[in-house]
Formats: sequence, structure tokens, C-alpha cells
Amino acid sequence: MQTIRLYGKSMAMLIRSQLQYPASFLMQTLAQLVMEGGEMLAVILLVQRFDHLNQWTAGNLYFFFGLMAVSFYITECFGRGITGAFPSMVRTGQLDTLLLRPRGVLTQVLCSAVDPRRITCIAVGIVSLVLGSRLSAIRWSFPKILLLLESIFCSFWLILGLFMIEAVLCIYSVKSVELANTLTYGGRSACQYPVDTYPRTLRILFTVVAPFALVMHIPASHILDKPLFAWPAWTAFVTPLAGFVLFGVMYLLFTSAMQHYRSAGN
Amino acid sequence: MSYIHVEGLCKHFDIRLKREKGSLIRGKKRVQALQDVSFDVEQGELVGYIGPNGAGKSTTVKILSGILTPDEGTVTVGGRVPWKERKAHVRRIGVVFGQRMQLWWDVPIADSFELLKEIWHIPDNAYHKRLAELAEALRLEDLLRTPLRQLSLGQRMRAELCGSLLHSPELLFLDEPTIGLDAVTKLALRDFLLWENREHHTTILLTTHDMEDIAALCSRVMVLGRGQKLYDGQLSELLSRYDTQRILTVRYDRMPVLPELPAPVSAVAENETLRLTCRTADLDMDTLLPLLQQAGTIRELIVQPQNIDHLIAAMYQEMGL
Repeated sequence: MQTIRLYGKSMAMLIRSQLQYPASFLMQTLAQLVMEGGEMLAVILLVQRFDHLNQWTAGNLYFFFGLMAVSFYITECFGRGITGAFPSMVRTGQLDTLLLRPRGVLTQVLCSAVDPRRITCIAVGIVSLVLGSRLSAIRWSFPKILLLLESIFCSFWLILGLFMIEAVLCIYSVKSVELANTLTYGGRSACQYPVDTYPRTLRILFTVVAPFALVMHIPASHILDKPLFAWPAWTAFVTPLAGFVLFGVMYLLFTSAMQHYRSAGN
Repeated sequence: MSYIHVEGLCKHFDIRLKREKGSLIRGKKRVQALQDVSFDVEQGELVGYIGPNGAGKSTTVKILSGILTPDEGTVTVGGRVPWKERKAHVRRIGVVFGQRMQLWWDVPIADSFELLKEIWHIPDNAYHKRLAELAEALRLEDLLRTPLRQLSLGQRMRAELCGSLLHSPELLFLDEPTIGLDAVTKLALRDFLLWENREHHTTILLTTHDMEDIAALCSRVMVLGRGQKLYDGQLSELLSRYDTQRILTVRYDRMPVLPELPAPVSAVAENETLRLTCRTADLDMDTLLPLLQQAGTIRELIVQPQNIDHLIAAMYQEMGL
């Protein structure tokens, strides 16, 4: 509870400090809109040319794209400490300052940065979700709304966990950012389309290693009433929990990496 | 047992070397940062920790504050092992790195302090009392609403110090706190540290290259070189060992006729001024003074010991650092 209070206060302060430079904030926010708008345009052009991909209609594809955009940018917005700021905290020794305070390191890292410019990307994602829902004529029910929220929530932890790979690597001062990017940004680009459009190896990658399929595609396919697998409906509520599992594993690795940091230091 | 107890402390770092031509693996070099360092500090002491760059000062501070784990040795601070109980340990200590800021750049410092209050779980009334006290002692009252980025270096240092002391630590580590500060700010900062030590019985461990800081603040000084403790005791005693030279400056009313001086004294004349250097043991004013008077009419005579930085340099040199 105290952690949530601290997080709230930190966010309020960080946002206030970003608003110290309103012009820069506004321009960067608009730049984000152009960027994410371009991504969506790619999907629009695709469905205009082919009008469906396997069994997925244009509306379905908008829905998948929106789900990914909302989840990914919520993570980049609120998990900025891990997704962006962490490597430089290690390099500059700012991490030491965090170790000198009586709070968990990961908590403090997450409290140390926020990226509210992503709000436009999240907005594009929401527009795409609404559009997809209209075009696919989804019949919304309470369980479906719950499933969508669960999927987004679990995706946050999944994506945060994937970004933690880079964080862990940079504690060991290994510069293999590109490797980590394959799963994070690569995963985002690939998995804004449903997983069954890909060959077997990629399907395995996005189910077992970076389980976007379990966390996003299975619940989304149930919401669209086109289940990916012929599994009972309740399984769609279970598979997203894979996001927590991945985050849990990464959390343990992060903790042991911090032990290494404290015995090696800088 | 002493408040800080350090025994047989060892710490090494592996430094990765540049890959040699034709070799696939990068070599490693082992650097011994601390070798068998032991000392004790009692509560309320003000201890200076000096040594040339790379001597292991910061490594010691990092181990004592729980950021690093040593290879060998026992360390307890107030009965706790710093790196084993990090959260409980850091609750009672404050650390100020002269070159690393913990406050937030773009917000008023009062807002930064509010967030620190949250991080450290400081109760409301304790916080307000402590903030008022520190703001007065550090003359920060008028700056509380100013964003950190608009403050001068000296003001920023004072704000940092205030932030690090809000939770009333019983032990304070200062790593080069006066680096880059002007004379007035330096003096004010020293006064403040003495005040904090006296009022709250705060134990202070100070690392610095500024010998004036040590002279003004610390009765006890520890010298570290190449990872080993070389001296631990009174500053005055340390200085007296190396205080072997005297500099005499004699100003005449006109160009002096250079006198014949006894051998161990060397002299340099510069217009009306004569500068003499000699070992303290060879200084014999009784013979020297008449000779100097023969050279002309003396307007001013100054006898000085060597500058404190020279003494420390001489000491480092003798210790082979």
C-alpha cells in the first residue's frame, strides 16, 4: 500500500517536472502521434489490399493491433524506469543512490521515470480497438470486458518482464541490447498480427519464450468469437497469467543480478 | 563494541583489459582495492579519511554503506552487517557524494524533500521539525520553492546535505563535500557539520582531498594508500612528522646585499625580498638574524611552516604512493 502511495507521489512529481518544458512536451507528444499513426496506417493499407488475413477480417486485425498498441505503450509510459532509464542509471552510478534508501530497488526504478508523451500512442490504440470492435460487430458482455482488461493488465507485466532482460544484461555490463530488442520491439511489431499467421518456429517463440500469443491473442480470439484453439472458454482467462510468470522469472533474475552488482560494483 | 567495527577488510575488482591482437578472449586484471583494512570508530566521532586518488576510500565508504559486498573481513555498524540487512542499515545512515545528486532536477527542492519523506517513512511532525531546523542551519529557507536546476553549486550542495539528513541519520558519510565550493560556502558548510555533530551526536566520516576541511573538522584522521591503512591518529601528530621545513620571507626597504649564509640554508633574492628555505632542525635564528640584518634594514620578517598540501604530498611520497 505504501509502495502504491510512493508510486503515485513520484508520478505526480515527475509529470510536473516534465511540464516545466511545455512546448517540448507538446511537440514530442505530437511526434509520437505521427509515429504510431504511421504504424496503424500500415495495417490499414494491408487490409485495403487483402481485406483479410487467414480467417481474420479487417476489423479483427484492427482489434489485435489496438490491443498491442494499448498494452505496449501503457508499459512504456508507466514502466519507463525499466524500459528506458535503467541502463544509464547503471552507467552513471545513479543506481547506488537507490541502494542507499530503505526501499526495494525495482520499486524505486519504476518510481524514477514516467513517459506521459505515450498518451497519444495509447489513444491511437484505443481508437483502433473501438474501430476493430465496431467492424467485427463484437457482442460485448461482462466476461468479455473482464477478459480484455485482464489481457491488457497481464500484457503490461509481460512486456515489462521482456524489457527487464536488457536491464539484467546491462547490470552484467553486457552490451547486447539488440538481442533484447528482438523480443521487445520485435515482439511488438510481429504480434500486432495474430500468431497463427506465422510459421511454426515463430509461433513457438511467441508462445513459449515471449508468450504474446497466450497473453493477447488467445483472449482476443475469444472476444472475437473465433478461438485460436478449440479449448474451453475459461482457458482464455488462464493463459494471460503467463505474463505474470514471465515477470516473476525476470524479477528473480533481476534480484540475483543486483546481488552481483553489489559484489562487483563500479 | 565500537559503533563502527572493521576488521581484515579485503576487496578486489576485476578489470577487463583490451583484447590483445590475435587473441579471442579479453584478459582480466585483478586490482586489490582494499587489503586487510581494520579500524574502529566510536559514536559521535568526526573522522577524516584521506589518501591519493584510487586509494580505496570510496570502496570503503561503499562497503560501510551497504552498496558493496567485501571479499573478506567483518564489518558491523551499530551491530548490523551493512550488506546483509541493507534496508534496516540504510535507514540509519546518510550519504552525500560531492559529485552525485539525489534530488530531482526540475522540481522545487521542497517537493524533492516531500518525496524523500515518503521514501524514508518520516512521520509528519518529525519531518517538519527537522526540515525547519536544517533549513535554518543551512540557510535554505528562501530557496525551498526554487527548482534545483536554478540553484548555484553551493546552494545545491546545501540542499543535497539537507536531503540526506532529513531522516536524522546517526551516521553520515561525506564523499568530497566541499569540491568546487567557494571559500564562504566552504566555511559555512564546515560550521554546519560541526553543529550537526555537536547537536545530534552524529558520527561523521569524511573523505576529501581538501586538507583544510580535515584540519577544521577532524581530530582524527586515517590515511589510506594502495588499499592499506597507513596511518590512524591525530592530524597534528601526523603533520608534525612531515613538518620539517621552514620558509623565511624577509622584506627589506631596498635591494639587500646578499649575505654569506650557513650551508643548509638556501636563499633566493627577488627585488627587495629574500626567501630562505631550511630544515626545521637547522634553523638557528640566533646566528641567522644578525646576518640578515647586515644585508639591510628589515621591514618585515615572516617564518612559515610548509603548506599543508605539501606536507601531505611529502607523506605520500615517503610512503611510496
